[in-house]
Amino acid sequence: MSINLGYFISEAAISFKRNWVMTFGGIATIFLSLLLMGSALLMNSLVNDMVGDIESRINIQVWIHDDAEYVDIEGLQVALEGHENVATVHLVDKDEALERFTYMTQESPQIVEQLQDNPLPRSLEIELIDTQEIDGVLSLIRGSEEFPLIADPPSDPERALAYGQGIVETLLGATQTARYAGIALVGILAVVSLIFINNTIRLAIYARRNELSIMRLVGASNGFIRAPFILEGILQALVGAILAILVLLAIKSFVFPGLQETLAFITFNFTNALMTEIALILLASGVVIGTLGAIIAMRRYLKI
Amino acid sequence: MSDLESRLDQIVPEPQFSPRANRGPLMISMKNVSKRYVANKAALENVNVEVAAGEFVFIVGHSGSGKSTFIRMLLREVQPSSGQIIVAGHDLSRLKNSKVPYLRRNIGCVFQDFKLLPNKTAFENVAFALQVIGKSKHVINTQVPEVLRLVGLEGKIHNYPHELSGGEQQRVSVARAFVNRPPLLLCDEPTGNLDPQTSLGIMKLLERINRTGTTTLIATHDQEMVNYMRQRVIALDEGQLVRDQDRGVYGNVD
Repeated sequence: MSINLGYFISEAAISFKRNWVMTFGGIATIFLSLLLMGSALLMNSLVNDMVGDIESRINIQVWIHDDAEYVDIEGLQVALEGHENVATVHLVDKDEALERFTYMTQESPQIVEQLQDNPLPRSLEIELIDTQEIDGVLSLIRGSEEFPLIADPPSDPERALAYGQGIVETLLGATQTARYAGIALVGILAVVSLIFINNTIRLAIYARRNELSIMRLVGASNGFIRAPFILEGILQALVGAILAILVLLAIKSFVFPGLQETLAFITFNFTNALMTEIALILLASGVVIGTLGAIIAMRRYLKI
Repeated sequence: MSDLESRLDQIVPEPQFSPRANRGPLMISMKNVSKRYVANKAALENVNVEVAAGEFVFIVGHSGSGKSTFIRMLLREVQPSSGQIIVAGHDLSRLKNSKVPYLRRNIGCVFQDFKLLPNKTAFENVAFALQVIGKSKHVINTQVPEVLRLVGLEGKIHNYPHELSGGEQQRVSVARAFVNRPPLLLCDEPTGNLDPQTSLGIMKLLERINRTGTTTLIATHDQEMVNYMRQRVIALDEGQLVRDQDRGVYGNVD
């Protein structure tokens, strides 16, 4: 069928030239929807990385009342060190707390200068082995005899505990909303590109109606008649997909390195494997949209 | 219908026509065929026709008498509302849509408006018919010049349709219909756009093709031509078959 393949490709190319405005529209919408889809996939991986990163950094802090007895603090510290899910327990004394605070506020040193004495409390910093199993450690702290004695404020010991309550949930909730919006947008654009491709193929069918009626009369098989149109749809989609992939690669190589400098706390880690995966997803989606658009057009306008 | 019955139907001639025994295998068989595009008006009403392989048949009648519907049914562009049509051994009502192209490869078609592609030369127009059914370049390069010579266009192979006269264009279209050597040739008003002299030339060409063994069906209202050719005539009027006559004339179909 080597002759046929050449025939199909030249037919698709001719139609490409003939209806270039519609073709351009089809390519542009496919490009946009695939670009959005690709960005959404990139963002998704970014958010997953971030969440993982934040989760791994979660630790527990126990604020300690200034009047607390050192024995009680040490008692709790020893008990915690005995727990299987605790990596380290570090007692931050008032000086270290002030040192950290000074570092954190170094941009406006007057804050520290205005302090009369050191108001910062001591604290126990507990690093966990598995952040998912944080509850066991929390209940150990809450159940210990020392905790109510050293907690700051003593009236409400629960407020002395800090372990990033809800940070992960809030983060996930926010990104989830963004993700749904993204999916909806990509869906709408996919429909628009379907309509565009459908229209271009319809015009192509109309432009070739005489040829098609002769092809039918002399007994060209249905597959033979349809093939150039499907090919045209796929070709448009592929061009759109390749453009989208190129733009994503450009964003990856030129925009993110700059962002990385400004947003140092986020690690942008786009591996080649991830980019390849996204590229393949975009190409596949493009082919699906192109084929579908062509098939819909042929069902409606090509009576075989 | 049982196998035996259907065979009997083929053997026993329909009573309303002269017996057509000894004519060889059937190319076309229509039994009780009716077609209604709208509910109360029949385009064809209870038509029974048999055409043996190798026959030359005129189908005559006024506009709207059902000639075109008759031709289009044989191509399975139109399905009958009732009745059975067998063409070249295919029962058209049982033929799957996907098999229709293979039926059409056995049927050549010629139309009043030639249906040539304006941006292709005579050669390319004929070649197109072979190309789209997947014939090789070699087959195309040998068969196309040959069939163009047969229709008398050997000197104008590379002319475009607009450089050819009406008669020459119709010859290209006959060449295209015949290039695949189909056993059946259908012509819908092939001389409708041509002057009498040119029409005669086309008719002679069709007759010559018929003599190679191709069953030829011509729907026409060209009275002069039908009377001149003295071939079998099937007359339709308001969808009814009113006359089926060997070596017939156009006659009064009113």
